[in-house]
Amino acid sequence: MGRLDVPRFGVRRFCGAMLAVMIGAADPAGATETDPFRSVMWDDMRALVLGDAPFRFDDRVKVTAPASAEDALNVPVAVDATALGAVERIAVFADMNPIPRILDYRPIAARPTIALRLKLQQATAIRAAALTPDGVWHVGGVFVDAAGGGCTSPALAHGDPTWERHLGEVQARAWPAVQASAEGQSKSTRLRLRVRHPMDTGLAPGIPAFFIETLVVRDGDGRELARIDSHEPVSENPVFTVEVTPPADGRALLVTGRDNNGTEIRASVPLAWRQSSLETSTR
Amino acid sequence: MKRMFTSIAVAGAVAGGLAVSFSADAARAAGPTDQDIQKDAETPGDVLTYGMGLQGQRHSTLKTINTETIKKMVPVWAFSFGGEKQRGQESQPLVHDGVIYVTGSYSRLFALDARTGEKKWQYDARLPEGIMPCCDVVNRGAAILGDKVYFGTLDARLVALNKDTGKVVWNKKVADYQAGYSMTAAPIIVNGKIITGNSGGEFGVVGAVEARDAETGELVWTRPTVEGNMGTLNGKESTMTGTKNASWTGDLWQTGGGATWLGGTYDAETNSIFFGTGNPAPWNSHLRPGDNLYTSSTLAINPDNGEIKWHFQTTPHDGWDFDGVNEFISFDLKKDGKVIKAGAKADRNGYFFVIDRTNGKLQSATPFVTQTSWATGFDLKTGRPIYNDANRPPNPMDGGGAAAGQGKPIFAAPSFLGGKNWMPMAYSPDTDLFYVPANEWGMDIWNEAITYKKGAAYLGAGFTIKPLFDDYIGALRAIDPKTGKIVWEYKNPAPLWGGVLTTAGNLVFTGTPEGYLKAFDAKTGAEVWKFNTGSGIVGSPITWEMDGEQYVSIVSGWGGAVPLWGGEVAKKVKDINQGGMLWVFKLPKA
Repeated sequence: MGRLDVPRFGVRRFCGAMLAVMIGAADPAGATETDPFRSVMWDDMRALVLGDAPFRFDDRVKVTAPASAEDALNVPVAVDATALGAVERIAVFADMNPIPRILDYRPIAARPTIALRLKLQQATAIRAAALTPDGVWHVGGVFVDAAGGGCTSPALAHGDPTWERHLGEVQARAWPAVQASAEGQSKSTRLRLRVRHPMDTGLAPGIPAFFIETLVVRDGDGRELARIDSHEPVSENPVFTVEVTPPADGRALLVTGRDNNGTEIRASVPLAWRQSSLETSTR
Repeated sequence: MKRMFTSIAVAGAVAGGLAVSFSADAARAAGPTDQDIQKDAETPGDVLTYGMGLQGQRHSTLKTINTETIKKMVPVWAFSFGGEKQRGQESQPLVHDGVIYVTGSYSRLFALDARTGEKKWQYDARLPEGIMPCCDVVNRGAAILGDKVYFGTLDARLVALNKDTGKVVWNKKVADYQAGYSMTAAPIIVNGKIITGNSGGEFGVVGAVEARDAETGELVWTRPTVEGNMGTLNGKESTMTGTKNASWTGDLWQTGGGATWLGGTYDAETNSIFFGTGNPAPWNSHLRPGDNLYTSSTLAINPDNGEIKWHFQTTPHDGWDFDGVNEFISFDLKKDGKVIKAGAKADRNGYFFVIDRTNGKLQSATPFVTQTSWATGFDLKTGRPIYNDANRPPNPMDGGGAAAGQGKPIFAAPSFLGGKNWMPMAYSPDTDLFYVPANEWGMDIWNEAITYKKGAAYLGAGFTIKPLFDDYIGALRAIDPKTGKIVWEYKNPAPLWGGVLTTAGNLVFTGTPEGYLKAFDAKTGAEVWKFNTGSGIVGSPITWEMDGEQYVSIVSGWGGAVPLWGGEVAKKVKDINQGGMLWVFKLPKA
């Protein structure tokens, strides 16, 4: 939990006027919370991602990433908000990125955890805000050092004349995951998928923004299990890991999606045969 | 009005079960309807179609700006297309509800506030590296219906975007860009169907006209333009185009060309769409004996099912790259006390054709350029050219060329770029004249051996291009369709490559590669106004009325096919700088 005892000196004075304009006279819950990273961009990020909604800094939202981004084009980040219990949305963003929003995750029938790779332009706090059913955002984060340049470099696909032939191809695998919890064991399906896509930010000279906007994971009957609304800073050929909870007798997961040029993405991921499905059907 | 439409959309969603059919209606209500599009030529408050009316007359009833007042016309604002992609800008803007929709080079679409020039949104298609546009990375314009705007991209896709947000609604692959297909023409919309042609004639593709449901993008019918290929209707095979091997030998019809790269026009009176078809492939005509139907033709097609009603072949068995793609403009021919439902076309081959649009019967064919070396005229009974056989580029098998495998070169006019190329002419029902942007040039041409290879140029010919006169190449000509006579002409040093507009204000507008947007007296040809836009003009001008004032707009940005060729023509154009700018003009307020 964030505490109030850190003085905010210059930052507060500098941003005071802007903050007043952005959020008006209201002083919603969390307005007095202090950013543990003391980022100069926090007030802007808050306005951009959370708006006027109440929030608190919360260590139960774990964001894991390397201390330093060895490859600014592929920074692995994992978000785990399972300690909060029920979560409706997770917004991932990076304060100092020229395009701060990275993705918006809706774990509809899924555990509130997601792993991805992203592009970083410079050293920044990478944050995840998890929305609980009571309407409060819980914000966690990690600071990642970076040499810079991830968002303004052309995608590797730019040097490959054949990328368009493989555009939207999906590689994926699903396998059972077992978690220990207070009530005993719970079962879910871990899905890791990679989509071939340049994910152009539009910031590299002469290359328009071209990125996946939506990926939806469904069960065999077409019901939504999880939804990822992604933005430009997600890495080229995005890799996502999520944990969904399809029906016990499900045979496959369906992945559908679309990029900002209207390219349709569609793939079926077979589910491993599970003892539990046999138990369900013979019970 | 906007508020009312919003509430309709909400009601549709609340209605639940009705939502699907109702939301489609709401989408239509949020923008121009099919009826608005059909009436575009009569409603000067908007420009909803490429051609300023589905018939493509490019005529406006506005006359606030006329031969007298135009002397005071000044720019209101200009908008830069920006980026490092300043290539040929052959677009015609659309105007609806105070918003201009204009396409740019490299498959870009901009939505601008028509009053201020402020950008509302921009869509940049992410093109693959291997696109193969033959003649610059141009686009000629968008289409609009309901809440969507549409345009074709250089990788042969048709994209529908929300007109207010620029977000892609659907994106359909029309053809395989790796086989040489692309899409540069503006689509047309007829009764809820979006109808498109294809490009790629120099790569041995097969031309086609296709109709899709404008709401969903689903294919309704296809009509290949080369005899022997099968059409489709509602996902099933419909009828074959022509009769297989009636005018083609062997399997050449599979790579026969005939690309419909300039799009089409529509006439409601006869319920016909008119699409021109490109030259047959390869250029070497000795490799493909026969008329090679339906290349280098105008096709009248039923928009409901894609069936061909009639065809008129302007260059049977073409050997000079005389595409027949040029726009076929419907008009009432008043001749000998009768009114004939006619259409006219100024062809690449140098002839101005007047054709009965109800049955395809030739009324007249008269040259609109000084030389047509390939034919001495047309037989009005048969509708066929009277060839000058000595001017057909000889068979390379007979030798006589500069190198082994090359045929003997001959000099022919018009050149392969045509007496008139893509740039659309205009027709004024006020003066009963057509205004044709023509060019005076010829070519040395010789044939070579060639075999088809997917994605490679399929020509089998070599060529140069040469001006016919020292002082001009371009000539804007006013043609009387009753007689074929040239009433007046304006000569331009560089080749003309932009579209034409005419108005009830007795004006004719066109742009020049030298950068000028020019206005002429429609009756006399006297130049009455000009403005230099800073780069060569190869776009098509429009005019509309907004807040009680008349506006004129043109895209400036040099490019297209002309700068791709060298020789004597290059001397006239090599110093023209590139650009990418939309200009808007009006009269100053009194």
